[in-house]
Amino acid sequence: MGKHKSPARYSAAGLAWRGLRNKSWPRVWREPELKSAYDVVVIGGGIHGLATAYYLASNHAITNVAVVDKAYLGSGGSGRNTAIVRSNYLTPEGVAFYDRSLDLYNTMSTDLNINVMFSERGHMTLAHTDSALRTMNWRAEVNKLQGIDSSVIAPDEIKKLSPSLDTSPNTRYPILGALYHPPGGTIRHDAVVWGYARAADAYGVDLHQKTEVLDILCEGGAGPNGKGAGGKVTGVRTNRGDIHAPVVVNCTAGWASTIASMAGVRLPITTHPLQAAVTEPVKTFLPTVIVSGSLHVYVSQTDRGELVFGASVDPVANYDMKGTLEFTEELAGHVLELMPGLSKMRLMRQWAGLCDMTPDYSPVMGPTPVDGFLVDVGWGTYGFKAGPVSGEQMAACIAHESMPDLIAPFVLSRFTDGTLVGEKGAAAVGH
Amino acid sequence: MTTRLPAQPNEVIDRSKPLAFTWNGKKMRGFEGDTITSAILANGEHIISRSMKYHRPRGVLTADFWDPNTSVQVGDEPNVRASHRALVAGMAVSAQNVWPSLKYDAKAANGLVGRFLTAGFYYKTFMKPAKMWPAYERVLARFAPGGKVDLDTPHGYHDKRYAHPDVVVAGGGPSGLAAAVEAARAGASVMLVEHEHDLGGHLRWGSNDDADALAGLVAEAESAGVEILTNSTVTGRYEDNWLAIAQRNHPIAVERLIKARAKVLVVAPGLIERPYVFAGNDLPGVMTSGAVRRLIAMYAIRPGNRAVVLTANESGDAAIDELERAGIEIVKVIDARTGATVTKASGSKSRVKAVTCSDGSIVDADLLVTATGWTAPTSLLNMSGDRPVYDPASARFFADSPPDNVLTTGGIAGDGNRDELISHGRSTGRLAAARAGVARHRIQAATTRATAVDGPEPAYPDDTRSPLGRDPHPELFRSTSHGMVDFSEDISSKDLFGAAAEGFDSVELLKRFTTATMGPSQGKLETVNTVAVLAEARGETLAEVGTTVWRPPYAPIALGALAGRVFEPVRVSSIQPWHEANGSTPILAGQWVRPEHYGAPQQEVRNTRANVGITDVTPLGKLDLQGPDVAKLLSQLYTNKWMQLAIGSVRYGIMCAEDGVVLDDGVTGRLGDEHYLMTTTSSGAGGVWNWIENWLQTEHPEWQVHVTPVTTGLTSINVAGPNSRELMSRLVGDDIDLDPDAFKYMQVRTGTIAGVADCVVWRIGFTGELSFEIHVPSGHGLHVWETLLGQGESLGVAPFGLEAQRIMRLEKGHFIVGQDTDGLSKAPTTGMIGLLKFDKDDWAGKPEVAWALEGDYPRIVAIQPTDPSIVPDEACQILREGTKDIVGRITSSRFSPTLDRAVCLGQVTPEFAGPDTTLTVQLVNGEQITARVMQHHAHFDPEGERLRG
Ligand SMILES: Cc1cc2nc3c(=O)[nH]c(=O)nc-3n(C[C@H](O)[C@H](O)[C@H](O)COP(=O)(O)OP(=O)(O)OC[C@H]3O[C@@H](n4cnc5c(N)ncnc54)[C@H](O)[C@@H]3O)c2cc1C
Repeated sequence: MGKHKSPARYSAAGLAWRGLRNKSWPRVWREPELKSAYDVVVIGGGIHGLATAYYLASNHAITNVAVVDKAYLGSGGSGRNTAIVRSNYLTPEGVAFYDRSLDLYNTMSTDLNINVMFSERGHMTLAHTDSALRTMNWRAEVNKLQGIDSSVIAPDEIKKLSPSLDTSPNTRYPILGALYHPPGGTIRHDAVVWGYARAADAYGVDLHQKTEVLDILCEGGAGPNGKGAGGKVTGVRTNRGDIHAPVVVNCTAGWASTIASMAGVRLPITTHPLQAAVTEPVKTFLPTVIVSGSLHVYVSQTDRGELVFGASVDPVANYDMKGTLEFTEELAGHVLELMPGLSKMRLMRQWAGLCDMTPDYSPVMGPTPVDGFLVDVGWGTYGFKAGPVSGEQMAACIAHESMPDLIAPFVLSRFTDGTLVGEKGAAAVGH
Repeated sequence: MTTRLPAQPNEVIDRSKPLAFTWNGKKMRGFEGDTITSAILANGEHIISRSMKYHRPRGVLTADFWDPNTSVQVGDEPNVRASHRALVAGMAVSAQNVWPSLKYDAKAANGLVGRFLTAGFYYKTFMKPAKMWPAYERVLARFAPGGKVDLDTPHGYHDKRYAHPDVVVAGGGPSGLAAAVEAARAGASVMLVEHEHDLGGHLRWGSNDDADALAGLVAEAESAGVEILTNSTVTGRYEDNWLAIAQRNHPIAVERLIKARAKVLVVAPGLIERPYVFAGNDLPGVMTSGAVRRLIAMYAIRPGNRAVVLTANESGDAAIDELERAGIEIVKVIDARTGATVTKASGSKSRVKAVTCSDGSIVDADLLVTATGWTAPTSLLNMSGDRPVYDPASARFFADSPPDNVLTTGGIAGDGNRDELISHGRSTGRLAAARAGVARHRIQAATTRATAVDGPEPAYPDDTRSPLGRDPHPELFRSTSHGMVDFSEDISSKDLFGAAAEGFDSVELLKRFTTATMGPSQGKLETVNTVAVLAEARGETLAEVGTTVWRPPYAPIALGALAGRVFEPVRVSSIQPWHEANGSTPILAGQWVRPEHYGAPQQEVRNTRANVGITDVTPLGKLDLQGPDVAKLLSQLYTNKWMQLAIGSVRYGIMCAEDGVVLDDGVTGRLGDEHYLMTTTSSGAGGVWNWIENWLQTEHPEWQVHVTPVTTGLTSINVAGPNSRELMSRLVGDDIDLDPDAFKYMQVRTGTIAGVADCVVWRIGFTGELSFEIHVPSGHGLHVWETLLGQGESLGVAPFGLEAQRIMRLEKGHFIVGQDTDGLSKAPTTGMIGLLKFDKDDWAGKPEVAWALEGDYPRIVAIQPTDPSIVPDEACQILREGTKDIVGRITSSRFSPTLDRAVCLGQVTPEFAGPDTTLTVQLVNGEQITARVMQHHAHFDPEGERLRG
């Protein structure tokens, strides 16, 4: 059984107590020794890796687990994303899955005892063309049947919800309607990462930062060094030494295909940078999340007043996280197209993260042809919102050695037996 | 009470030009040359803002662009940096983060509970009750710093400029100026970009000799032909010296973006003075030495009356002289080089009153000047891929190994007296020009040009500059007490210690957890102190802790400047003016504006079916393909066969992406031996062109095919209806024989129409009627259109719009790619199984399509609601009766005037695709109706007798 050492509880009273006594909080997580063997090694200290470790411990009492990350926790997409969560997807598989994630987000603050600032501020996807409007109607109809709160609204209603939008018909890309999803919103991404890390640590999971996986150790496979189909995993080689483990989980998002190839597994994934930017803070005026597929842009305003912008992935596959000038130009152009009144606001910072794109805009989860080597990857531009449910289901998959229904559609083998998942339409720029 | 000093020798204000402005509604006066804060200070006020979290009063700290607590609202513009922005007559300036007013701020109470508001406190509370978070959130949002956006601010135009200078120098201090001068003299085209309003860097507040030297350098720069941009910032350095320059002093645009590709970038931004961390360091009246020197020398402002100076360097020593010269009493000098320091500043709520020194003494003072060291603004180096290295002996960071086309000079490169700095700048300028010369030679040699490049490539110049020295400097970051580290975010060293103890003990985690360095100055003032405090907490050196990565922009840049003009033209056909003049309702279809209808679409359908209609189909994508290998290309892209297409014939084809999903469809005709015209869907035009180029350039570079997009070069008109042949016969020249046996269905002819030569006509039938699609050179489009209308009057001709066209194609059961198919519909879904030629060697998507055929792919079927009067909306779901299981959806629906009933296309699972299957359709209002699957896709004339007629 997991020895659950409850961490110092966060609460207003605790804040006051420590404030008065000038006492600081205990460490959020330990800095453990690197052991030479674990039951499970999770590669990647982002939301997916940490949630998997947490649910392994909390739901299945598997606590001899290490999470290794080459940098710091949350240094990948999990600390760079724009933290939009929603569940108004298109396919029944997609909806069921993301809806479960929203459920977990809803209770996360109390479950993990950390305020993840889930802000159900509503999510609006704008339609500027006939065909976009048609797709939105389609999504709304599907969502209705699945009990998801999501409907198509007209420009006057859009204006009421978000007065800063130019809903007049004389713009270059007039707003014809929007898919409005009240339960969608934003969340504080770092808090989620830290929340899972802290809770997993309390169960005894070892978190190893600055520990880079250099190779995956295998035996019995058809390829060189026992890698590849038919073999099984025996551990990982890191910059701090070898770790033996019968189960290794790849949760490395943008780096997923390079890590998988260390085990001789080829993934149908290409990595593209996705860029984002924030402005200087201003008093809050934008109550909802705004997404425009035609203009390749989405916007939300943080509680601090900064506008956070994102776009679609860079067109050319690469691993560069520097960001481009052209991105900011196109972004600003499109934002002002939607909200011309913002022309005097200033862009304060831009950055990029890496997205692991699959051909059908859906993840790859579960076993691979190498026994014991599992993946939870292919999260592209939409993986943050899926973190909790993925962790929960991956943990179940590892514990029961079988694919849970919720993630069954996402198996790797779908690419070789022609059963792709149909989220392409709903996911492009669909953060 | 004014604090304006008598005239200073090198002041930048013009006392002959007073300017009136208001500060929080109060009328004030300043002078031309003032910044907003110098003008406010001159009027005797010194609180400029309230701090973000604790709402503590804040004043001037650095008196330059990075002054952290001096953001103000000016009219409709939020977050104006008041210590930088030049005062303009009539400005309405107000404080931002205050409620109800700057003086009596109700939220200052936060200061009392400050102990509980440790960094990241919000992660630890407000969790319960969960339902309350939205309410807490609204309260927290009240604390959002920053000004107010006026949503009526006009977008305006901010046209951009493109430049290709040999050398860009970022920073116009003595070194940067000297570099620019020498580079220009060596023949380079040079752009010198200075962040502040005037050139000179620290010479601007130096001695009279400094002023003379500066004037000399500026004169040299002007005569050498350097392009000087002041109040402008190199905000970003991207791949290969692609630079973003924000020009803030442009006469018309508020801010303009200059995009420059520099052959060499010289980074000379000087140094930023670092504030010191100690208790009370954020009280108004605590300033850096640079701040007091600037205030006195440039703006003739008396920064206080009784000063304590903490100095560790020449700048602090110079501040002492400057204060004395201005007649300000110096009550104590603390020389940090001897190990002494300040431990605390205390005072009333709004100003320093006393300073506690490390020897225990307490002195009364209303001004505390600190000179504790420098931060190298290594942003542009970082963006060049360099990871600066910390040098403990001089207590600052230096470049490691920037790329060859990025050079540093001035303070960022080392220390020296004025002459040494200038001389380093000069040698840097020469090196920059020489390296730019090689780059220029390489570019010229690599491009095809009329005149050949002169001579061989010059040798690449090595860096033989004698480096600047590095003055020793004590490592002074924090005193023995805790104070502010991040003034804009209200983060103290105590917060940082606490966070580090909690385990957020790498720079990145610390930054994220506390938000230190995340505010508007993006770490220019705070990063090094943050790193230093963390190093202290961890018992490590600064080098071990490392820094975070600086990201663009170096200084914030207006969205309006980045956006520029939107270059996304609306496309229209040459006939659009006629449509507009003749009562059409326009519709936006992708990039195009086209007529939706001319008043009565149903009537347009009836007329076309009964007589003849004409419609403008110019947005159809059109690609002119020429060359011996066109047929191979077509075979590769379309699922059907193209090698045997006869000259004079057209064929319909479907294109798939490599995953077998339908990408586009259209008709392509063979006009000559090696000459074809391809049409694509309107929305697919650009994508198909790219797709073709992709095949030609990367997969089959050996194929000889020229592709020319001619979508707008040809105006396209469809003439449809039983009278269409008669109408066409009144227009065509002798070169086109319209006899049904001579010009059959699915054939193409070129010739003269309405006197216009070189037209292309083909017989196809999207509407299901006998029809001719004509493509005429655009200049004659309107002429042909009007001639059709004129000649066809007796035949009942009338124009029809997009809506009528959509109705007719639906009656005829033609699917539309992207409407009746979606991102997952593979070719078999369309029902066009006969077009999938597996005996062809290869075509894009072939294996995937073969696969799909073996599985349960959804089918497009024609559907008719049982009740003919109900038209289910497009997107209505088709359910398994009595359940919520989705088995399909309506993809197209209209009321058919021809059949006088509702007609639809839809996608259903195979189980429901058989003819006469009864479907359950859920309407948008939740009601359910039944509908029937039809035998054929075509609701009307399934045998196609009309169009072959
Ligand atoms: C700009 C941007 C905006 C986004 N916006 C949204 C959004 O609004 N909503 C949404 O749902 N999703 C969004 N996403 C996507 C989302 O961020 C990711 O899908 C998600 O964070 C992936 O989480 P992860 O845990 O799988 O991977 P990551 O968080 O990327 O973690 C992978 C980790 O693996 C580590 N790693 C890599 N290689 C090695 C190695 N060899 N050894 C050890 N460790 C290694 C990395 O250091 C990293 O920490 C966005 C992404 C970006 C870049």
